[in-house]
Amino acid sequence: MDRDSIGILFRAAVDTDDAAAWKSLVEGLSPLVWSVVRAHGLRDADAQEVYQTTWFRLAQNLTRIREPDKVGAWLASTARNECVKVIRAARRVSPSGDPEMFDRAADDRTPEQAVIDSEDAARERERARATWQAFQELGESCQRLLRLLTASPPFSYQEVSATLGIAVGSIGPIRQRCLRRLRVLLGRRGFQ
Amino acid sequence: MSAGFPMSDDELETELRRAVELFDPVPSHLMQAAVEAYTLRTLDAELAELVFDSLSGSSQVRGERQPRVLTFQGVGLTVDLEVTVTATGGRVVGQLMPPRPVEVEVLGGRPVTLTADDLGRFIYDEVPAGPFSLRCRLGDATVVTEWITV
Repeated sequence: MDRDSIGILFRAAVDTDDAAAWKSLVEGLSPLVWSVVRAHGLRDADAQEVYQTTWFRLAQNLTRIREPDKVGAWLASTARNECVKVIRAARRVSPSGDPEMFDRAADDRTPEQAVIDSEDAARERERARATWQAFQELGESCQRLLRLLTASPPFSYQEVSATLGIAVGSIGPIRQRCLRRLRVLLGRRGFQ
Repeated sequence: MSAGFPMSDDELETELRRAVELFDPVPSHLMQAAVEAYTLRTLDAELAELVFDSLSGSSQVRGERQPRVLTFQGVGLTVDLEVTVTATGGRVVGQLMPPRPVEVEVLGGRPVTLTADDLGRFIYDEVPAGPFSLRCRLGDATVVTEWITV
């Protein structure tokens, strides 16, 4: 979802009371909010609460947002602030993700799943699964960085820097190191 | 998608993006809740903005198990809250300024309506963890506090 269409949908939701536009906005920007929350290593229950608070806040603040095409950045920074508060409130944080995360795709059937019938698709899925499992074995800081870098729509390095508190100039080298590590872990799983 | 290993960094990142979408999607019930937030928003309500939160940056009070203190500022109404989190749930002690004995609706996981006493105080026990907001009716105006996560 690009900035222009975000801006158009947002204006429609604010000015013309267009619930369908809001729904598209939620669908388009939810993965972004989710990656911020996951990048903070929150356990499942906390992650879900922060996700909801973030969207509830946007719904409350619709008429106060001055730059509609930057609503993605607004959501990201709101989610970030909420994550920090939840962590400060000394609630439990699980750095390597919950075991539930492994299984969610299995019991929560997505449309993607229905498509995956052919053998080709099954192989694709095996590799995606191996990638996901290898990702889970990465260290906490690599997981956080890669969650942000694979967000959709993508974050700028400035936003990544603000979220994780690492210098913009360090992001490229750390990314490279994390991906190299991921490649090694994938190799061990027989994906060369 | 048919690229084999080894792949370039960009290809590997794309592969990972796909894996994240497949194996850690945004739960659909959460998206539904976010969609509904739009229809449930109170259009005619004044927003009481969160102007102080002891969990925020520089105002953070250090120390174990200090209650969280928050202030919401609306037009003609200030809401002060003290939130204590216990094993069984949270406890919220509130104060309306200026004091008035009005109904205070709790929005969120366990909606309930409380009544502030003559001094504008109210207490809410066993607050479930999650998004939390209050709605107060003052004559013909309605004030809603910004959502927080308890």
